[in-house]
Amino acid sequence: MPSCSAGAAAVDSLVWVFRDDPALSLRGLTKCYSDGTLALEKFDLEIPSGAFFGLLGPNGAGKTTLISAVCNLLRVSSGEIRVFGEPHDTLTARSWIGLAEQDINLDRFLTVRETLMYHGGYFGMKDPGPRADELVAAFGLEHKRDTRAPRLSGGQRRRLLLARALMHRPRLVILDEPTAGVDYELRMELWRYIRQLHSEGTTILLTTHYLEEAEELCDEIGLIRDGHLIARDTASGLREHFGGERLEDVYVNAMSS
Amino acid sequence: MTGLVWLCRRETLRVSKLWTQTILAPVISSILFILVFGLSLGGRIDQVSSVDYEVFIVPGLITMGMVQAAYANNASSIFQARFDRYIHDVLSAPLPAWQVALGFTVGGIFRALAIGGSLLLLSVIFVGVPVEQPFALIAAVALGLVLFSALGVVVGIYAETWDHTTFISNIVILPLAFVGGVFYSIEVLPSPWEELSHFNPVFYLVNAVRFGFLGESDVSIWLSLAVVAALAVPVYAWSQWLFTTGRRLKD
Repeated sequence: MPSCSAGAAAVDSLVWVFRDDPALSLRGLTKCYSDGTLALEKFDLEIPSGAFFGLLGPNGAGKTTLISAVCNLLRVSSGEIRVFGEPHDTLTARSWIGLAEQDINLDRFLTVRETLMYHGGYFGMKDPGPRADELVAAFGLEHKRDTRAPRLSGGQRRRLLLARALMHRPRLVILDEPTAGVDYELRMELWRYIRQLHSEGTTILLTTHYLEEAEELCDEIGLIRDGHLIARDTASGLREHFGGERLEDVYVNAMSS
Repeated sequence: MTGLVWLCRRETLRVSKLWTQTILAPVISSILFILVFGLSLGGRIDQVSSVDYEVFIVPGLITMGMVQAAYANNASSIFQARFDRYIHDVLSAPLPAWQVALGFTVGGIFRALAIGGSLLLLSVIFVGVPVEQPFALIAAVALGLVLFSALGVVVGIYAETWDHTTFISNIVILPLAFVGGVFYSIEVLPSPWEELSHFNPVFYLVNAVRFGFLGESDVSIWLSLAVVAALAVPVYAWSQWLFTTGRRLKD
């Protein structure tokens, strides 16, 4: 029998799915760093609510800059970002985003459970304990719940990073290369978590270097190069457009075109 | 306000988890100053400002211990959070800038009060220091801690290496405290050193705290409080401006 919280989550999911506003809307987004690097130039992108969108591109293409801009971690030069219709820098919009960054950035002074509790607290959760315990169990970290982040293995840190991003039940989860450098078993495990999350109605924006990962998980894939979105379609649509049997061929053709 | 409460808890938790480093070590260091300077030299030095020397130096040493701790705590906490990038967890959260600035300031104040409280207790036991003007003492400590905690936040945000954070402590705060009348009354200084001491902001803080303990100081308590407040307000505003604009925190 579903619990009350599960019922509430299901209702929330329905609300998310049927809202008209796109989960993420970027209009003319430009970011020029102080050293003159133009990371994004008049970048437009719209991701519908409930979508699983993959962003593919080489190093330096602008993927992490885009994510940092959405999550208020950098100052954009110009353009507009909206999250479910709200300007991205409002407190409401921020509370709807969950971010798992590419690099492990866990608070070295906090244990696994504290990491989740404090994150929930920053995001306004009045009693984050039960949710923290739920995620500790869901991500198989029970035996490490009182261990500080620096003492965790690489895989455990990666799982904690993902759990932290989900702690406050965000409507839009942004995963920046979540499986970079992890072994096959953990990658499959992370895929399972991410798929389950999407099936519950959460919108997901995923960046990855693994083409099979994008093809396996994403409804739609965007190709980014030199700060511009050069194509977006389903994996089969991209194959048709750029030619090639495999997504690797599509990627090579797109990036060299 | 939930986010602010959790950020304050995080900053105080860090101090508590590292208590031997953050509280015990500075308390031992300051109490050694009181015992070594006060009890060994106290018998050889006449009364200063009508109190025994070992009592006279206590307010200045407590001030020095507290402001150094308030500064160092926040500078290191923010710099570490930037260096390891876990500050992103706070910067991306739905927290208004004023709450982030206040939350990061609280850690330094908590640590300084823990040190100051411990030193006060030990000083009462060892040298019988009085507290003649408690309200003046509270006002002076509050303003001084806001000033140096906020300074720690600002330096922690601007610092590019650990050396930058320790530079301010070792090259600015410590020397200013030493020449700010911690160990002597500036009345004994020859001209122009006595006059120059009036340009040292730490001198006013030491005197305000000393007035709170002993009921007397080299300059008016109101002037001392006004000078410390005149510095605390803009430095705190500076720290909040950094969080509001994201300057030095966001590319």
